[in-house]
Amino acid sequence: MIRHYLKIAGRAMARNKLFSFLNMAGLAIGLAAFILITLFVHNEFSWDDHWQRSEDIYRVEGTITFPVREDRPTPNAPGPVKDLLEQSFSGVEAIARHIVYPTTVKVGETLYAQQVIHADNGFMDFWNVPLLAGDSGQALSDPSGVIISERLARTYFTNTVALTDVLGSTISVNIQGQMKMFRITGVAKNPADTTHAPMDMIVRFNRQNFDGARWFSDGWRSNPWKTYIRVAPDVDVAAMEAELPKLLEAAMPPAAADQDPARRRGLVLDLRAVGDIHLYGNDSSADVSSLYGMLAIAFLILLIAVINFLNLSMARVAYRSREVAVRKVVGAGNTQIMQQFLGESVLFAFVSLLLALVMVEVSLPYYNAFLNAVIEIDFLAEPLVLVLILLLGLGVGLSAGSFHALYFAYLKPGEVLYNNSSDNPGGSFFRKVLVVGQFTIAIALMTVAVFVNRQIEYASRVDLGFDDQNLLVVSGVTADVSDTFKQTLLSSPFISAVGRSSDVPTEGSEDRLQILPNAGGEKVTLDGLPIGPDFFSVYNIPLAAGRYLTNAEPDILRSRLEEGEYRGAANILINAAGAKVLGFDTPEAAVGYVGQVNLSTSLAFEGRIVGIVQDFHFDSLRSAIRPGVYYVDQMRIPDMTLRIDSKNRDAAISVLEEAWREFFPSDLLAYREMTQMVEDQYQLDMRLGTMLTGFTILAFVISCLGLYGLAAFMIERRTREIGIRKVLGAAVPDIMGLLLWQFSKPILIAILIAGPFAFLFLQDWLQAFAYRIDLTLLPFIGVCSATLMIGWVTVFGHVLAVSRKPPITAIRYE
Amino acid sequence: MLKLHNLSKVYRSDEVETVALNSINIEIEQGEFVAIMGPSGCGKSTLLNIVGMLDSPSSGEYIFMDEDVAGYSEAQLSEIRKHNIGFIFQSFNLIDELTVEENIELALLYHNIPASERKARVAKVMDKVGIAHRASHMPSQLSGGQQQRVAVARAVVGDQAMILADEPTGNLDSAHGQEVMEMLQSLNEEGTTIVMVTHSPAHADYARRTINLFDGHVVTENLRAAE
Repeated sequence: MIRHYLKIAGRAMARNKLFSFLNMAGLAIGLAAFILITLFVHNEFSWDDHWQRSEDIYRVEGTITFPVREDRPTPNAPGPVKDLLEQSFSGVEAIARHIVYPTTVKVGETLYAQQVIHADNGFMDFWNVPLLAGDSGQALSDPSGVIISERLARTYFTNTVALTDVLGSTISVNIQGQMKMFRITGVAKNPADTTHAPMDMIVRFNRQNFDGARWFSDGWRSNPWKTYIRVAPDVDVAAMEAELPKLLEAAMPPAAADQDPARRRGLVLDLRAVGDIHLYGNDSSADVSSLYGMLAIAFLILLIAVINFLNLSMARVAYRSREVAVRKVVGAGNTQIMQQFLGESVLFAFVSLLLALVMVEVSLPYYNAFLNAVIEIDFLAEPLVLVLILLLGLGVGLSAGSFHALYFAYLKPGEVLYNNSSDNPGGSFFRKVLVVGQFTIAIALMTVAVFVNRQIEYASRVDLGFDDQNLLVVSGVTADVSDTFKQTLLSSPFISAVGRSSDVPTEGSEDRLQILPNAGGEKVTLDGLPIGPDFFSVYNIPLAAGRYLTNAEPDILRSRLEEGEYRGAANILINAAGAKVLGFDTPEAAVGYVGQVNLSTSLAFEGRIVGIVQDFHFDSLRSAIRPGVYYVDQMRIPDMTLRIDSKNRDAAISVLEEAWREFFPSDLLAYREMTQMVEDQYQLDMRLGTMLTGFTILAFVISCLGLYGLAAFMIERRTREIGIRKVLGAAVPDIMGLLLWQFSKPILIAILIAGPFAFLFLQDWLQAFAYRIDLTLLPFIGVCSATLMIGWVTVFGHVLAVSRKPPITAIRYE
Repeated sequence: MLKLHNLSKVYRSDEVETVALNSINIEIEQGEFVAIMGPSGCGKSTLLNIVGMLDSPSSGEYIFMDEDVAGYSEAQLSEIRKHNIGFIFQSFNLIDELTVEENIELALLYHNIPASERKARVAKVMDKVGIAHRASHMPSQLSGGQQQRVAVARAVVGDQAMILADEPTGNLDSAHGQEVMEMLQSLNEEGTTIVMVTHSPAHADYARRTINLFDGHVVTENLRAAE
């Protein structure tokens, strides 16, 4: 029986090649798109699930709270948290912690930038790091031992054949400015691509290494540790988390009266499941909502493909009703008919699925390159994926075949067999509904894609307020050599200006300062940015009123020579937005204003506004420019921005490299380009826009395949009607007009439905942008006209052919 | 074999009520060869549909082999039909995607008969109707007469007790028409009950009895004189 069904399914497919091709291509494209998107989303959601018992591992994430500044979420926790957790919770089976220390590694004469993990006791057992060479129990027992990953071993020792050869070789690691020698005692398997914590270089934590480091302390003052706990399987982690504030309050020392008030702060601890760190962790940059958006697109495309299948199958119902009727006459029951046609469409779906998998396999390398991801399909490693994909094929086959299978099951054989015309009795209204549905989705997607891309384009042209061309940013310039380093750079003809600040544009500022407004009353908050007087000139940020700051004493709030003490008064700059929140109508009016400025609740100075700079972007380009205050603080300006000669870029960079080697011989130079930093801000959006465009095009291709097939069948069915019209005097243009109008109707209805949905969605989406495009009708009209054009082009061939047929062939048709 | 008692069929649409069959009383014995004649629209096909259980009467009784099947569900009718009734149509109604052999086999496919036995029975009936040499041809490769022979083979391969033929010669030339009629006649001689709708008085002469329908009524019944 099954063989019989297979045979007839195959022959029916072969007999109508156009129909089979359109049906299969549409479904395969839809399935491929669906699989590609869900693979990526699945990949994003499955980070860090490869650790042993990963479902029981949590990271302790500390958020530092300040009385006046914004909370600062970090992925780290202070040292004493370890003992606190160990003593307070019996459900905690193990704790491991490490410090991630970005530094410079020297192998032979070559410098490499590398993150080094300083691992506390128990690290190797906790993470179960597999070693390819060396003994994992002993590798870190020697304080000068280091474990490196296989890929590092291959990078550092290029002619390595056996990994065991690497054991015993030495490398130097810059720790707190000193090069320390380490001996390689282990080579670890390469870390997974999907982990938040790639462990490429592990050394044993040694307290002495960090003596005197300002960011490290044993107490509650600093949070250097990445701290992980593994809990017993049945432990209620939420309840543990709820107890933490109380425990912290009891354990943390109350703020001492003599503590630097600027540093007086609180701490909130969260337990983050290790699998959630990538998407939800305090240091995550992932955009979870766009992942859900992509998932929605995946389902919409699949829906379009299934509708396509349904539609083409329903259109072809007439061609096989005779077969069904005969089957019923010779004894086939409803169930058997249903089984046959459901089976056929499931078979069809599986063939399409196979085709889709080939498409996925072929496009994966490009897709991975585009998404910067490492997605692969490995059914052997992940049998669950195979099962899910098979279920997908089954589900698509059953849903796509459901309508015509049902239709056939309830077909009355007498009606077909005694009626020689092969009229298509049911389903034509239903088919129109399906076409409308399909185009509604396609038009909505295209509208969204057009506006999203316009917005991204618009945002990338936003006036930054500063000149981002030819700027290099070097971080980590220590205060003691800052001036001399700057002078060395400026002595080159290829470097025209150097400016210093605590942070640079696009990064945003952490400091929130409070200033008494002009009219008195409640203090207002401005973003604070410690700068050198040279900052505004290097960025070419113009003045709106007053003057810039200088190196003159009254302009300096904190001097390097005065041991970190803030002065009681200093001249400051604000931006135009700052003048507004301080209650000045014009920037000029703000010049000369003197007000109390709070660096924290208890530390204040008298600030005199000597100048107002024009507004410029400092935070994410999505947000509006915030009011800002700028003051000279020689202790907190480690970021140095260089304006270089565009024609002698390479020469300027070698000057920088040379100077860096001289001043910081054991650190690898790392510089960033401001244009790139600005572009990075859009990168996520741009990727989203490009993906949206790509998948929208696919949705259109599938819809048009459907429309093309449908047109072929509909026109064939109407050959006789057209013949009669021609006999009665209709000319070719009349017929064409009639048919084109009929094919336009479902598209026009789809436009009416899709428009409001797309606009509502876009309105919501655009809220996230401070600088956004208007939702004008013109691009939407463009989308609609384009859709109509695409629709017409799709059906035009059929329409022309049938319109030109001599009427006699049409009338003889039946 | 079957008995129709006061059987009526009324088609209703929103505005029009059409009486296709009006209080028909017909009895057909096992082994009879009955022809049904009448002008277009007189209800011949409706009658055949109801007798063949492809349609249900609006009122009246339909006793088939001592069972009143008038109120039976479609599944029940299908069950009775597949074991007892074979169909031959004017337009043959062969499935284009299946070969001659497969078309005939279709009638056994829903009967839970093992494949080997199906093959044997199909081979036997193909011999009988003289189409064995075309076993693996597609219907489109056959002449009309050959196609109708395949249809006859399909109607009888399941050992059906009764064959309903709806103008079986309507699409054939006279020679092929004759051929099919002779085939039906020999089937009848072997004991198969045959009910045939026809326009051709000559072909009606093959039947032992002719029922004339007009506007949904039985007008006359003629018994052919015994030869």
